Amino acid sequence: MSDTLLLNSSELGATASDWLALMKPRVMSLVVFTGAIGLAVAPVHMNPILAVTAVLCIAIGAGAAGAINMWYDRDIDAVMKRTATRPVAAGRIEPGSALGFGVVLAISSVLLMAVVANAVAAAELAASIAFYVFIYTMWLKRRTPQNIVIGGAAGAFPPLIGWAAATGNIAVLPVLFFAIVFFWTPPHFWSLSLYASEDYKRAGVPMLPVVEGARHTRVCIFVYTAILLPVALLPYWLGFSGRFYGASALALGAAFVYYAWAVLRDQQDAAGISLSNDAPARAAFKYSLIYLFALFGACAIDRLV
Amino acid sequence: MRIEHEHWSPEMVAEFKRRQRGRNFALLGVLAAFCVLIYAIAVVKLHEYGQMW
Repeated sequence: MSDTLLLNSSELGATASDWLALMKPRVMSLVVFTGAIGLAVAPVHMNPILAVTAVLCIAIGAGAAGAINMWYDRDIDAVMKRTATRPVAAGRIEPGSALGFGVVLAISSVLLMAVVANAVAAAELAASIAFYVFIYTMWLKRRTPQNIVIGGAAGAFPPLIGWAAATGNIAVLPVLFFAIVFFWTPPHFWSLSLYASEDYKRAGVPMLPVVEGARHTRVCIFVYTAILLPVALLPYWLGFSGRFYGASALALGAAFVYYAWAVLRDQQDAAGISLSNDAPARAAFKYSLIYLFALFGACAIDRLV
Repeated sequence: MRIEHEHWSPEMVAEFKRRQRGRNFALLGVLAAFCVLIYAIAVVKLHEYGQMW
């Protein structure tokens, strides 16, 4: 594309991929995976077409919440290097269009979930969207360094929704899944925020490294990762999964603790800037993604094979 | 979106049309997939109700 076109990129309107980007497809993939596992390990058989549609509803609901988040956060997204190219922040999609897109998708996903599954799953999906939009995005994100600790609950809903779609109720195992994602979220996001703290500072978002400093954040990452290890073993200890899951949770959790320990031991200067360019935090962030996929994958293998 | 042809070079107009075409085809794909999905759900639900009665 020529320089002229790049300069006028926002004036020329959005591409189809901009609309897809509005739904935060990376976040969506994680949500789809954990939601699908919640549905797959449920003890009730669901028609495959309805099951796929239920997972699609979870994905669309998450995408809708992401679109509304991009509409609301367009001012801070525009000043952060990591998010400046997002379609609303960059001006390729008008804010009102993004909001309308998000609201229509949110309502559609909840209604479709009620049709293909049941009212419990639809209510949980609605609650997860509302939690992400109102509690996390509009209330907590700009007010407290505990934003992602409490707000992380929104991302922990999908296994509960998947289970409820199949069974129509809430049980102990999906609640344990919820707890796992809930305790996984802080070390995952704080690892990212350690090396993106300048971005958050510039945008005025009170992430933990900005408010309490890098050293305190490193300690918190380690503490939450240490708590996550036994929490992830609960499905095995309580008899909901077998040895394969137990061994996987132990090995994956021990590796996560090792990565968190490296973040804790990372040398920093007096201003809190890492002397290693935050290499351990970057590694911990990448590993946290592998951890969650592998842990839920292990649970599915253990229950289904 | 308003097309301001008077300010745009032929290259920009072509790019605008390319993006518009891309969006239209994407929307067509989404609508077609939605129709197929609703049809499939209807068949499954009718089958389920048929078994009940």
